[in-house]
Amino acid sequence: MQFVQNFPFMSIILTLFSGPLSSILSGKKAKYLNLAVISIVGVMSAAVLAFTVSTGEPYVYMMGHFPAPWGNEIRVGVLEGLMAVFFCIIMLLSMLGGIKEREREIEESKQNLYYIMVNLLLSSLLALIYTNDLFTAYVFVEINTISACGLIMIRQNGRTFVAATRYMIMSLLGSGMLLMGICFLYGLTGHLLMSNIQEAVAALNQTGAYHLPLVISLGMISVGLAVKSALFPFHGWLPDAYGYSTVSSASILSSLVSKGYIFLLIKVMFRVFGFAVVWDSKVINVLFVFGISGMIIGSIDAIRSRNIRRMIAYSSVAQIGYIYMGFGLGSMEGFIASIFHVLSHAATKSLLFVSASGLTEASGNSAVFGELTGAGFRNKVAGVAFTVGSLSMVGLPAFSGFISKLLFAQAAAGHHDWKVLPTLIALAISTVLNTVYFLKTVIRIYTPVPKVECKKKDYVTITMRQQPVKFAALVCFIIINLILGLFSQPIVTLISDGLKMFA
Amino acid sequence: MSLILLSVFLPTVSGILLVVSSFWEHLKAGTATEKRKKGILKRLHLYVGIILIFTALLALAAAWTGEREITLFYLMKDIPIYFKVDNLGRFFVTFVSIVWVLAGIYSFTYMKHEREEKRFFGCYLLVYGILIALDFSGNLVTFYLFYELMTLASVPLVMHSGMRESIMAGLKYLFYSMCGAYMGLFGIFFLYRYCDTLSFVEGGSLNAALVSGNEKLLMIAVFSMLIGFGAKAGMFPLHAWLPTAHPVAPSPASAVLSGVIVKSGVLAMIRVVFYVAGAEFVRGTWIQTAWMILSLITVFMGSMLAYREKVFKKRLAYSTVSQVSYILFGLSLLQPQAMTGALLHTVFHAFIKCGLFLTAGIFIFCCGKNRVEELKGIGRKMPKTLWCFTFASLALIGIPPASGFVSKWHLAQGALGAPVGILRYIGPAVLLVSALLTAGYLLPIVMNGFFPGTDFDEKKAGNAELKEAPAGMLIPLMILAGLSLLLGIFPSPLTEFVSRIAETLM
Amino acid sequence: MNSVIMPIVILLPIFCGALVPVLPFKSRRQMEFYIETAVILNSVLVVCMLFHRPDEVFTMFRLTGNLSISFRLDDLGTVFAAIVSLLWPLASLYAFEYMQHEGHEKVFFMFYTMTYGITLGIALSDDILTMYCFYEMLTLITLPLIMHTLSRNAILASRTYLYYSLGGAAFAFIGMIFILIYGDNSQFIPGGVLNLVKIGNKGNTLLLVYVLCFMGFSVKTAMWPFGAWLPKAGVAPTPVTALLHAVAVVKAGAFAVIRVTYYSFGTEFLKGTWAQNVLMVFVIFTIVYGCSRALKETHFKRRLAYSTMSNLSYILFGVVLMSPAGLVGALSHMIFHAVMKISSFFCAGAVICKTEKNYIHELDGLGRKMPVVFTVFTISGLALMGVPGLPGFISKWNLAKAAVLDGGTLAVIGMGALLVSALLTAIYMMTISVRAFFPGKNFNYQKLEGVKEPGIQMLFPLLVFVAAMFVFGLHSQPVISALTDLAAFVK
Repeated sequence: MQFVQNFPFMSIILTLFSGPLSSILSGKKAKYLNLAVISIVGVMSAAVLAFTVSTGEPYVYMMGHFPAPWGNEIRVGVLEGLMAVFFCIIMLLSMLGGIKEREREIEESKQNLYYIMVNLLLSSLLALIYTNDLFTAYVFVEINTISACGLIMIRQNGRTFVAATRYMIMSLLGSGMLLMGICFLYGLTGHLLMSNIQEAVAALNQTGAYHLPLVISLGMISVGLAVKSALFPFHGWLPDAYGYSTVSSASILSSLVSKGYIFLLIKVMFRVFGFAVVWDSKVINVLFVFGISGMIIGSIDAIRSRNIRRMIAYSSVAQIGYIYMGFGLGSMEGFIASIFHVLSHAATKSLLFVSASGLTEASGNSAVFGELTGAGFRNKVAGVAFTVGSLSMVGLPAFSGFISKLLFAQAAAGHHDWKVLPTLIALAISTVLNTVYFLKTVIRIYTPVPKVECKKKDYVTITMRQQPVKFAALVCFIIINLILGLFSQPIVTLISDGLKMFA
Repeated sequence: MSLILLSVFLPTVSGILLVVSSFWEHLKAGTATEKRKKGILKRLHLYVGIILIFTALLALAAAWTGEREITLFYLMKDIPIYFKVDNLGRFFVTFVSIVWVLAGIYSFTYMKHEREEKRFFGCYLLVYGILIALDFSGNLVTFYLFYELMTLASVPLVMHSGMRESIMAGLKYLFYSMCGAYMGLFGIFFLYRYCDTLSFVEGGSLNAALVSGNEKLLMIAVFSMLIGFGAKAGMFPLHAWLPTAHPVAPSPASAVLSGVIVKSGVLAMIRVVFYVAGAEFVRGTWIQTAWMILSLITVFMGSMLAYREKVFKKRLAYSTVSQVSYILFGLSLLQPQAMTGALLHTVFHAFIKCGLFLTAGIFIFCCGKNRVEELKGIGRKMPKTLWCFTFASLALIGIPPASGFVSKWHLAQGALGAPVGILRYIGPAVLLVSALLTAGYLLPIVMNGFFPGTDFDEKKAGNAELKEAPAGMLIPLMILAGLSLLLGIFPSPLTEFVSRIAETLM
Repeated sequence: MNSVIMPIVILLPIFCGALVPVLPFKSRRQMEFYIETAVILNSVLVVCMLFHRPDEVFTMFRLTGNLSISFRLDDLGTVFAAIVSLLWPLASLYAFEYMQHEGHEKVFFMFYTMTYGITLGIALSDDILTMYCFYEMLTLITLPLIMHTLSRNAILASRTYLYYSLGGAAFAFIGMIFILIYGDNSQFIPGGVLNLVKIGNKGNTLLLVYVLCFMGFSVKTAMWPFGAWLPKAGVAPTPVTALLHAVAVVKAGAFAVIRVTYYSFGTEFLKGTWAQNVLMVFVIFTIVYGCSRALKETHFKRRLAYSTMSNLSYILFGVVLMSPAGLVGALSHMIFHAVMKISSFFCAGAVICKTEKNYIHELDGLGRKMPVVFTVFTISGLALMGVPGLPGFISKWNLAKAAVLDGGTLAVIGMGALLVSALLTAIYMMTISVRAFFPGKNFNYQKLEGVKEPGIQMLFPLLVFVAAMFVFGLHSQPVISALTDLAAFVK
């Protein structure tokens, strides 16, 4: 066994323990610790990714050398490595992009609490990615929920309390369903390790016994995770949670937390039930329908919102809909497209949140559309970044959104049942709707206002010198977006290799 | 250079030059003195007169000195701009030239009371050139080209006075003509497909093999051409522009519009029916019946409206509507004698109607009278003018020995001899009734003019100061009146020539 | 010629354009000189390239799998590239004088010049993906041009333009995907690339997809009911409405439709299907609808925009006939309409620039003050009407010929619609000319004191266009026979 194979476990432990450590540090030091941890984990994950790519097959890492079914396992393949690297990068950039806001919006005495939450969150995400044990997954899901609540609530105004409470309720509902699903499965198979369950399920499937309970447990798990990742119609908690929390939280929540659950769902589908069972169960049809509805309704809600943050939040509902629609297609291409969209959406959405905060900052800290007029001139980098993010969301060529749209559409067009045309038409309509709200905003931020009015409304001009870190983060986001858009081939290959390792 | 091209380009180019120079004048506005303006005017008249006469000579020479044809260039691969002199073209060019030169000479005097003479004469020459080209056109596309250009170039003539009324009339004229032209074009598109060639061939050039099976479509196409080109000839249902547009133009322009330009509609129909589609294709079909009925309706309607109309020039315009449909009726019978009558009526009506409009122009020019009832007693002061009017009226009514009688005689004979069912009787009857109406709307003017009655007060009518019209206007009028009388007395050379054309086409 | 020339002619204007706001020009004249030189240089390169066509494909880079951004010059691309490259220098020249009264020239010329490269990108695209990419870019790059005045109307218009265009592209995207999946490859190959074996029993789905794709691309050609953006976009400066909304952008839509119909789906698969009939109905309706709206419109440029709407559907009519003659008609109208409409827009622009008059009822008597402008306008009006001797007649003739050859009821109705539209064109164009030349007997010319012809920068392009119109109108044979050769592949 090579040293690099320890990295997944080490990164989980490292982040887990840096959390409590932060509680005794001052806010500033906690911040540096947090950034350092994320960077280190990122580097380690990259090493893991490189390792798995070079070996070309996944490996299982036994905790404490107890073999299954007693021990707890970590399983690492290409896809896990890729996700971990990507999550670290996005998280790092989101944290860097929101420094100013955090200092302003969070009480001095609670600064270090924030970093505890972030560290815990990262550790739970990594655990969700790597774990091969359903119950471990559940435990980290709960850790994840709680730390996410903290992230929402830390900006202490009335709305965030309400938002956090709603998030908590919905999330716990989801966790409950997940737990019940796991219980069912345990009852049916007597295992908690994914590999073992899969064998048992395959055997059950062959005999045809316990068909209904299996479907129910799959349904429970899917719906539970769907609730947590804000699939329409369970998205009620989302706009407030994303719209009013501090910008790093919003960007982490939207691009990472929900994606962690989605990744877990993919894992459950492939590693626990096996693709054949999932395909037979028709649960994916339900996901498909909700996904498509989410694509449309999320966008319509976004059009109706009057506040840029809420608009971006609603747009997440639509994008989550894309991902579930990809699952619903039930083909390998569909899953590849969905996973690519997980990456592309994570990169784009956090870019949007961070750049939107730059724009609002230049407009007297108001996120209402009316105030944003001309903001693109007052904060040039944020304007460009927002434009890039918007174009990517609309799916214009050269940006990441185009590739995911392309993959989705190809997956749909090659499909062999009734889902072909609904998918394609929903994609087209959703593009139109995305155009309406994103590019309307772009036009607005590039409509100049007279100088006199700028002074009257205490708009400020923000230059690159004033906030170098944030601008560096934005530029990195843009670069990631362009890389995903222009050189997507290696990433798509990685994803499909990773999916093959799953099965 | 070919005589044909010379006779086309000379007036066209000199016309365009005049129009351009009129714009030039406006840009450098108003520096010339009164005296200099007069000098300019004199030179303008000289220039226009020389060009007119020279062109007429050229055109006649081109027409009557042997067979000529020339391909100018290819508009599209198999569609040349092609001119050919044939008998029909000779016939048209000749009377067009006579009328055009006479009306031109008349207008030197008349136009003194209008403005923008340069533009007027420019367009006048331009239209002349285009008409010559139209008459010499050797295929349908060339014909269509000049047909459209004629419309466009004659619109400024209608609008000349610049009054709101005349501008609206000009637009109406333009749009009706365009509508007609496009209906014609609709047919041309089909004929291009189903004919061997679009060149004019006596008897038509339909390709029987291609046509079979598509007769219905082709008939619709031909009918649409008849309606379309009928717009120019004032045929019902696209006749409404004519009574609006002709009267508002300056009188020499109305004279040539009514006398000559409407005839290009007739020419178009002859070309389409007898030279492209072929009379045999039309004979006995619903197209022929519809054509006859439409022309008869127009004959009757035109006369009735003229009878009720009180504005002099409008009355004449309605009369044109009616009279041109005599010609169309003659054509629609598809019978040699009727066609002879139709062609004769074409030339007679050209001279007569031109003469009548020139008379109307004289009344407007000399005493500003344009309503029929104002003309009472005018014969006492302007007897020569009114005598010319009388001769022309008699010719139009068709009282022997004046010219109209000859043409109508042939028309009626032809109608009776044509195998067209009940219409062979209805037709002549309608013509007769219309002739009576013609008498009804023209002769009272003559009678009231010469015999205003015993209680007529010259001063009250404003006739006291009146004098006979100036010679520059009177002479062309007299020539036209004389022609309309003389051609009725000595019709045989013309009749022979025309019937030869008619014979070759059936 | 080496195939590297293709990306060069695309990127050169993009770079030169992007440099406009950066370079330190000492005077306006320097900037004009720089832009005009760049544009002319590029046009010269394009023309050289058209005469010595590079044979191979140039692949810029691979996007995913077998999808790449690559360029190739074929017959159809030649036609479009030729139109664009010949008109651009003239339009730029015109814009120099025109933009003096609009301001913000640097930004304007940046985007204006960049658009040139992107339009060429569409013309030179080797496969459907490349074309789609440039098509989307075209939408975005022209957006600031519509917004230029930044008035409320301009903002609203640019929004509408954006929604319509990107929305259309989203539906066209579906078509692209199906070509990628069901085609042998994604290149443009005369006769289409569909693989009938792969399609199997999905013919009807594919036809529906074709209809969606056609409609998606025809948003740019302002086909009813997706045409509302075009008249609204008339708020843009005239060089934009003239060159982009009468030629480059809208013709890019028509070009894309031709590509999709003849080079991707293939007429063999489409001809005689319900899809063809449905599209024909839409197209025919647009022909008449556009003209009727133009007739009702009192705003000068908007009237011309509606006229464009109708005329673009002439092109589409030729396209949906799906015969060699139809393609010839469509392409000839594409070329000729470019010249005719750009000159009439330039006349409108000259009037707006020199007199600030935007509505038709304000044009009374201007013919006497600006005789050249209004003579050119009248000539282009006559050309649009289809008076023989001018190019409109030639293209109408070819379209009608194709319709008669087709012989179907819809085709004949379509031909009738062409003529109805010609009549309406006569009405809405000639009323303007008549107004300008015949303002009425008692018109007071004092009111127009100080109105003068525009300068040579504006007049020169106009005169070139008039000359071009006469040349095309009287001697169209070379063009038509070249197009006939091009269309010979259609079965």
